[in-house]
Amino acid sequence: MAEENLINGVVITFFSTASAVGKTLISVNMASELAREGYSVCLLDMDLQFGDVSNYLKLNPIYTMADIQRMMQAENSDFKIYEFLTEYEHRGVAFHVLPAPLQLSEAYNIEPEIVESMVRDLQRYYDYIIVDTTSMFSTLNMRLLDLSTIVTFLGIVDFIPTIKNMKIGNDTLRSLGYDSNKIRLVLNRSDAKSQISRADVENLLEERFYHILPNDFRSASTSIKTGVPLVLSPDDSELARALRSLVSLYTNKPVEYESIAEPGDISEEKSGGWLSKLFN
Amino acid sequence: MAHNVLLYESNRIMLGTLSNVIKSAPNCNLVASYQSHTDALGQGKVFNPNLLLIDVESQDATWLITEFRKAFPSAIIICMGERWQADSASHLVQAGASGYIIKPFSAVELKDTIDTFAKGGGLETSCKVMTFFSPKGKSGKTTLIANLAMSLARKTNEPVGIIDADLQFGDMAVFFNLNPSNTIVEAARDADFLAPVSLQSFFVPVTDNVSVLCGTRNPSLIDRVAIKDFETVVNSARSLFKYLLIDVPAGFNPTSISAAEIADVTYLVAMNNDGFEKQHIRKAISLFEEDWPDVKDRLKVVFTRVEPYGAEKSSELENQLGFPMEGILPNEYMLVSKAADNGRMALDIASDSRLSDAISHLADKIIRHQVRRDTL
Ligand SMILES: Nc1ncnc2c1ncn2[C@@H]1O[C@H](COP(=O)(O)OP(=O)(O)OP(=O)(O)O)[C@@H](O)[C@H]1O
Ligand SMILES: Nc1ncnc2c1ncn2[C@@H]1O[C@H](COP(=O)(O)OP(=O)(O)OP(=O)(O)O)[C@@H](O)[C@H]1O
Ligand SMILES: [Mg+2]
Ligand SMILES: [Mg+2]
Repeated sequence: MAEENLINGVVITFFSTASAVGKTLISVNMASELAREGYSVCLLDMDLQFGDVSNYLKLNPIYTMADIQRMMQAENSDFKIYEFLTEYEHRGVAFHVLPAPLQLSEAYNIEPEIVESMVRDLQRYYDYIIVDTTSMFSTLNMRLLDLSTIVTFLGIVDFIPTIKNMKIGNDTLRSLGYDSNKIRLVLNRSDAKSQISRADVENLLEERFYHILPNDFRSASTSIKTGVPLVLSPDDSELARALRSLVSLYTNKPVEYESIAEPGDISEEKSGGWLSKLFN
Repeated sequence: MAHNVLLYESNRIMLGTLSNVIKSAPNCNLVASYQSHTDALGQGKVFNPNLLLIDVESQDATWLITEFRKAFPSAIIICMGERWQADSASHLVQAGASGYIIKPFSAVELKDTIDTFAKGGGLETSCKVMTFFSPKGKSGKTTLIANLAMSLARKTNEPVGIIDADLQFGDMAVFFNLNPSNTIVEAARDADFLAPVSLQSFFVPVTDNVSVLCGTRNPSLIDRVAIKDFETVVNSARSLFKYLLIDVPAGFNPTSISAAEIADVTYLVAMNNDGFEKQHIRKAISLFEEDWPDVKDRLKVVFTRVEPYGAEKSSELENQLGFPMEGILPNEYMLVSKAADNGRMALDIASDSRLSDAISHLADKIIRHQVRRDTL
């Protein structure tokens, strides 16, 4: 790990336009699974003010993004970014984390240009850079989206306001002019309690979900409490399997597990129903 | 009732323009017009006007309104100016004015203004502005605001306003099933020139007493709402409502910071999910503590989705935070989601639910505090 690559690593960003849809949980698991498969991985917590990566992995970082920004601004040519990252290790599987600042004032002063340099620098050393974000179109997030190889746009189906924001978010992402395979629409917590059907949502978005992750509150919260990502835990939950199959879609490795994404049931009819009243 | 209008305007050309507008306005007789305030004060009484339109930009405005009030004790007084000045509004109201209009105005604008102020809906002098702030999203704050606004209006019969300043993904319009033509973007655009009555027309009424200034229609419009214009909108809205509730984006950002600074009280809202939300709330509290010496008066903490719901859990949270708990809301996921999906309020769907009780309890606290303040 942390040997200089001749090629630049892949940047996978998790983004959403609603909070609490699983960006952090899934990015932590993506990093873990890639590391388990032998790739060198760095996970970036770009939820600068209230980032949860260190919480979900029970890390106590010594250096954070604020320190790294300071060092980069000092323009010392001996500076090696990977020397200041925090390692997560579980039963022989390890990856690096670039944690969010500890203080709110530091968070407020992180500069998008410096973040961009951090990502570019990390790309030289790691196969995969996994980026966790916040749910808004901020200057920082827009820049991260531009830099990314793949953007996973995550959604959940709980109630109509969230669906409205997913639609607006998806339309906005599509309007940015990226290659069509760059943005991947993923549904999390698919069978959670809701009055709204997945097919209605796909009709509204005019797009199928690329992958679907099941709702499993117990496994998710156990993993957060213990600090052990689902894909590294011995109890092989359905959610863990679905997470692994998402990773295999990204690495183009043969699918070890059957994807649980059944084809979405998109009817021929355009949604003229009650959801469309939101968007006339 | 016909309005017998006395017009005082110091600019001769404007005097002519406005006279013609008043003559063409429905229900208005122009009984006297003056370019000099001493003439208006001395001679106007002869014509027995019941509505005065007074140019407040030529003289010391407060003094002028006080004099007109003395000379015409029972007339409605509407101030005229070229731009709305929120900071002097409450002085004018205390001196006896009931309203404000930006000149020049059209006959329709005049009629709307008179209608608003003549039916007793004068400018509010003491409005309680409340900002709802959450470290992270999905805290339940939009649900809280919408239901709390309804509860405050029902209990007090006072006008209640909601401003959706969650500038990229504001949900208030969906909560109330509205499809407004005017939003915070238009209000901010016109901020400098808006008197409260015109601002009122940007708010969409949802009941007799509750109205909403809706959020942007798409995320890129955030750039069209400058912070200073947003602040002007909030300050003008103070004159329209007794209670004003502001929804802001999660986290510390220019909008949420300015809304917290401008508010009388900021509610810190988090959903109790047994994750790291207590830690996030503590972090936010400590930042407010650094900035606000009177933090205990200005900052209140509310947790939503609290189970088991009760005083015991509330004091447990209080101990964990080291900060008083203003209120807790129970877990009513199906109720609130169904309500929002159908553009209705949880309070209406289940008025006897634990959620309704909790909201009602919070509203009572706010009202008691406001009544105490008003009687000081
Ligand atoms: N598939 C799932 N099944 C059940 N619970 C889930 C699932 N995915 C995530 N969760 C839970 O949802 C909550 C939010 O997850 P997470 O913190 O990863 O979201 P986020 O998008 O990063 O939120 P934020 O925008 O607030 O940072 C967590 O409590 C997590 O345990
Ligand atoms: N008291 C409650 N009990 C259980 N669930 C709740 C409660 N209040 C809100 N919710 C649910 O939590 C989710 C978020 O609610 P709401 O939209 O009010 O929060 P918010 O903080 O405004 O979110 P956003 O960050 O998206 O603006 C919704 O699914 C809603 O139904
Ligand atoms: Mg997160
Ligand atoms: Mg909201």
